[in-house]
Amino acid sequence: MSNRFEAFLGLSVELTAFSRFDLLGTGLAERYLATLDKVVGVEITDTLLAAFVALPPAEGEARIKAVRTTILGNELLGDVARALIKLWYSGTWFELPLAWMERFGSRPADTTFVVSPDAYVEGLLWKAIGAHPAGAKAPGFGSWAFPPKIPALPELDSKA
Amino acid sequence: MLFPLESTLKADAKTVAGSGEYDVVIVGSGISGAIIAKQAAEAGKRVLMLEAGTGANITLAGYDDLLTTFYSAVSKDNQSPFPVNANAAMPRSPKLRKLQAGETDSSTYIVQSGPYVSDTTYTRIFGGTTMHWEAKTPRMLRSDFKTRSIFGQGLDWPLSFEEIEDDYRLAEREIGVSANVEDQQYLGQTFPGDYVFPMRGLPLSYLDQQVNKGIEGTSVELCGKTYPLKVRPYPQGRNSIPNPAYDGGKGYRPIGAVDTHQVEEGGRCQGNTNCVPLCPVQARYHSGKTLAKAFAKNAKAGERLVELLAQAVASKVDIDPDNGKVRSLEVKVYKDPASAAHETITVKGKVFVFAAGAIETARLMLASGLRSTSGLVGRNLMDHAYLLNWALMPQICGTMRGTSSTGGIVDLRDGPFRERQAAFAIDIHNDGWGWATGAPTSDLLELVDDRNLHGADLRRGMVDRVSRQLLLAFMLEVMPDESNRITVDPQYTDALGNMRPILSFTVPEYTMKGAAYGRRFARTVFARLGAQDHTHYDPSDFGYVAYEGQGYAIRGGNHLAGTHIMGTTRTNSVVDKNQRSWDHENLYLVGGGSMPTIGTANVTLTLAAMCFRSSRDILKYLH
Repeated sequence: MSNRFEAFLGLSVELTAFSRFDLLGTGLAERYLATLDKVVGVEITDTLLAAFVALPPAEGEARIKAVRTTILGNELLGDVARALIKLWYSGTWFELPLAWMERFGSRPADTTFVVSPDAYVEGLLWKAIGAHPAGAKAPGFGSWAFPPKIPALPELDSKA
Repeated sequence: MLFPLESTLKADAKTVAGSGEYDVVIVGSGISGAIIAKQAAEAGKRVLMLEAGTGANITLAGYDDLLTTFYSAVSKDNQSPFPVNANAAMPRSPKLRKLQAGETDSSTYIVQSGPYVSDTTYTRIFGGTTMHWEAKTPRMLRSDFKTRSIFGQGLDWPLSFEEIEDDYRLAEREIGVSANVEDQQYLGQTFPGDYVFPMRGLPLSYLDQQVNKGIEGTSVELCGKTYPLKVRPYPQGRNSIPNPAYDGGKGYRPIGAVDTHQVEEGGRCQGNTNCVPLCPVQARYHSGKTLAKAFAKNAKAGERLVELLAQAVASKVDIDPDNGKVRSLEVKVYKDPASAAHETITVKGKVFVFAAGAIETARLMLASGLRSTSGLVGRNLMDHAYLLNWALMPQICGTMRGTSSTGGIVDLRDGPFRERQAAFAIDIHNDGWGWATGAPTSDLLELVDDRNLHGADLRRGMVDRVSRQLLLAFMLEVMPDESNRITVDPQYTDALGNMRPILSFTVPEYTMKGAAYGRRFARTVFARLGAQDHTHYDPSDFGYVAYEGQGYAIRGGNHLAGTHIMGTTRTNSVVDKNQRSWDHENLYLVGGGSMPTIGTANVTLTLAAMCFRSSRDILKYLH
């Protein structure tokens, strides 16, 4: 795997709190990196990845604070990072806010779209709540009568 | 279940036009048309079925294409699996907007003439609206057939429950209803001693059980009567576990997915939580299952008894002025959904059956200038009014799992209060607030964009926000009112030049009284559950209705009825109790449109039962 893809994966683990195993298991990681490149351009994507790589090796609250100040609270990168979280969770790229476009220029590919039919099916939000995407990955007859099995948060290794 | 391969060969328009007289010509391939086609074919009659949609979903590959379209759709609304086809357009709720006083909005397929804007939908593809229905199949109550006599509201049916009961059983067999008799005996509903449903009831969801725990043993008082509260299972047209005691011990064989090749899928519900808009495995009934049986008669007879002509839109009815009979039907056959190019053919038959749904059937009649002696074609339009109430339960309930809906609170479907206000049936939605707010996607957007959550906080936040969601959907009775109606106007036409339906509707005060009570009822239930009420109705909502100083967002239920009601004479109704037109003796207008009232029962089971009745009358007429 390239360093660029490694950085993208690490950033995605940081933002979603799903493990590399989970993210690679969707089969969509490469496609999502390509989506970023296509929609906001390679330059902004690289800036985002560089900001992640440069994060201090802190843990816990300090780490969260660093992500907030240097990525999610960054005027250029914040909206892009939030779009990436939503992409992983739903399979849909959501158009960037108007204010972002006005300041940094609109991009022709920046519309709201489902990346692919399987991107919807692999949305992480369903996994987060111990459910399944509506219309796919059915859990079986009668499974709904029992309490949900909500997966525990994994030990994450994004900083490794 | 197998479709005989030859049945999927598209009938050729020229052959159809030149093939002389059919015994029965049916417009629409939904459940009504399918039942009549099957019954006629079993009696050896020659049937032509016209379908406005492309018919591509007759094969499993075509059906699966609908699923892929759904996965790829940004808006997962109840028509999202069905591709846009301007030649057979259908209503789509995300396109609606609120009307100003006196305004008409013709930007959507149904022209909204107001004052209420209805988001009601129906599906114009092979299988009709059974391609998108949720498949709840309650029977109407005895009192629902005579609300005028008992409550002084609405109209009496020309049929009693007793007269339709046998046909309810036929409909339950055809659809393959899953329910337990002991769960359905509330409010005086009775079943003959040995009757069991074809399949056992679907188990209540964990969410249903949590709600039941909070309310069971409590009650409410209304108009001096006490109503106990309990979550009861709904009967469903979704495959469950066959009941070996069915049919005097013969049992029941469920029908799964249909295709031209052998396919092992859909024999039992897998819990896809997606009945609406599309069951991915066809465990939910759709009329293709009935049509597969009708087409199977072809092979047996060695000739084509049932022909399907798709991409064929009935556009005009030709009446013989001497005897009032339908002489022929003008049909526009298009080659490609992307183009309005079409040829117009004339179809002849001994009997004509219009089974295109309450709105399209009325539209076809009115576009042909046929208002009937009573003038009631298009009038008395009904659809259940839905009032949504949503809250967060105190505990994790595992929302977003199950089949779309399994249980509800149904004890206020009947009572003396119906003299003054609408009855209702509540269903609990296993997909949480989806219908009301667009959950869980809307929750994701809020948590990420507004609450600034990421990482572990976001994961925990999603569980906290989504897994506790409870939506109580109140399905409110709507009584017939002649001014609620479908009309047509030559200034509003579709791609093929057919006149589009114009909808004028006011939610009746009787219903709004029920809605106002329903809102209070929901607050009482939420209080007993310790649930946080998150319900709010936006005044800019297209379905916003003000009543006695409060506002409510009313949603359509897609339970369309009433545009050609049945009655006792040609002056008080459009069709007789066999759904035969009073004015045209070889014309049957079938489906929800024939229903004079709808009570608090989703309409499909009842209209399916009525089509068994009409089938017998049609065969009698042909002999």
